[in-house]
Amino acid sequence: MKFKCLATIWLLAVISAIGIASAQPRTRTATEPAVRRAAEADAMRLEGEKRFRANCGRCHAAPQKFPPRMMATIVRHMRVRATITDEDMRLVLYYMTQ
Amino acid sequence: MKCRQKNPRYRCVWASTVRRSRYFPLLVFLISAPLFAQTPASDSPVPILTGTAGYFNFVTAGQNEIDTQINPVLLVPLGDHWLVESRAEFEGVFQRPPDGGSYGGMVSKNLDYLQVDYIANPYLTVDVGRFLTPFGIFNERLYPIWIRSLQQDPLILPLSAESSDGMMLRGGFPVNAKVNLNYAAYVSAVSSAHNNSQSDRNVGGRMGVFLPRPRVEVGASWQKLFQGQRSNAFGFHFAWQPTRLPLNVHSEYARSNQGSGYWVDGAYRFSQVLFWQKAMRRLEFAGRAEQFFSGQISSDEAQALGLPGANTREGEFGLNYYLHDGLKAVASYGRQFSSVGNFNLWTVGIAYRFAVPLGRVGSQ
Repeated sequence: MKFKCLATIWLLAVISAIGIASAQPRTRTATEPAVRRAAEADAMRLEGEKRFRANCGRCHAAPQKFPPRMMATIVRHMRVRATITDEDMRLVLYYMTQ
Repeated sequence: MKCRQKNPRYRCVWASTVRRSRYFPLLVFLISAPLFAQTPASDSPVPILTGTAGYFNFVTAGQNEIDTQINPVLLVPLGDHWLVESRAEFEGVFQRPPDGGSYGGMVSKNLDYLQVDYIANPYLTVDVGRFLTPFGIFNERLYPIWIRSLQQDPLILPLSAESSDGMMLRGGFPVNAKVNLNYAAYVSAVSSAHNNSQSDRNVGGRMGVFLPRPRVEVGASWQKLFQGQRSNAFGFHFAWQPTRLPLNVHSEYARSNQGSGYWVDGAYRFSQVLFWQKAMRRLEFAGRAEQFFSGQISSDEAQALGLPGANTREGEFGLNYYLHDGLKAVASYGRQFSSVGNFNLWTVGIAYRFAVPLGRVGSQ
């Protein structure tokens, strides 16, 4: 009887441990990518702003933010006109549209 | 790296041979072109009508001149790699006759550029058509009235053709994390003296090195004329935007048989002053110093080209007030010194930049 009781407690403990162990990674996968994505977006915005100031700010002040489809055209035009790099263009476009 | 792991004896012989090969740039071009990501439809670029409009009063040596202009720019993107772009210039210059009476003058029309750009890969863009001559930085980058800090053209601007008709290869790419390189090489095949679309037959190029960290760019330009005296022109440019100060410094030097000279231009935005911050951050102080030295052409020929007829020095300073993003009021004073005579240059005016989508853009 005592053995059965101990075995049941042990079994419950194992099941709980497995449950907790399996639950922890699930929580991590649900929140971590979102946090990482937000951090990446912030980093890209900051980098985009830096590239904007370095490349576009050399000639003119920051213009207002236009809708993304307009900005895509303007940035393509400026890529050709100001010979900015491909990477700078993508980061500036991200900064100006987010 | 992969090839070294698979077969260490060959140590990427193929890769290094290709890298050393003169065909490497061509290979990079061919391989990288298809790697461009496709733009999602919701963010695809839309045609735009943009440009500038301005009204200015120039008083030069006591002579008042009213200058009104509108410079529309049409941008039509096609797919992920193409852009058709064009800028026209409509300018009315009106003066009062010396003996009095009402203002009179004429409206000039000019096609500054009409070009098709093909963005071949991250390193290369091919332009065909009529384009702004990439000689120095003023003509291509600082010319629009809402961008330039002082409205008077630099004295040396006419030393190179403003527009050329032909083909151009250009691009910008990072050499490493600290250095970006930009270049432009062109051939202008059409010689035209037509009033609205002047161009010369010439070949030339520009190379610039940009250091993103200190925000410094230095570069050099060269142009060889294939007509007339078949002369050479060359120039250097410099641009600096300190990271700690809202200051923009630009400078150019140019030399040809028509003359030589330089200008240095600085614009300081009062965004860091501690009083009246709301108004002061919209205010900009600009100054320019320049000098022109006559070349091997006569005074009349120089003036016909828009150059001073004699050795000239000029200093100018002014204030720009940004009423909002695309609208600024300008006022400046300058003085020109030359053997022909010294005189004052006053400018007041307003410059506006507009941008209108020619398609559905959705919400911002």
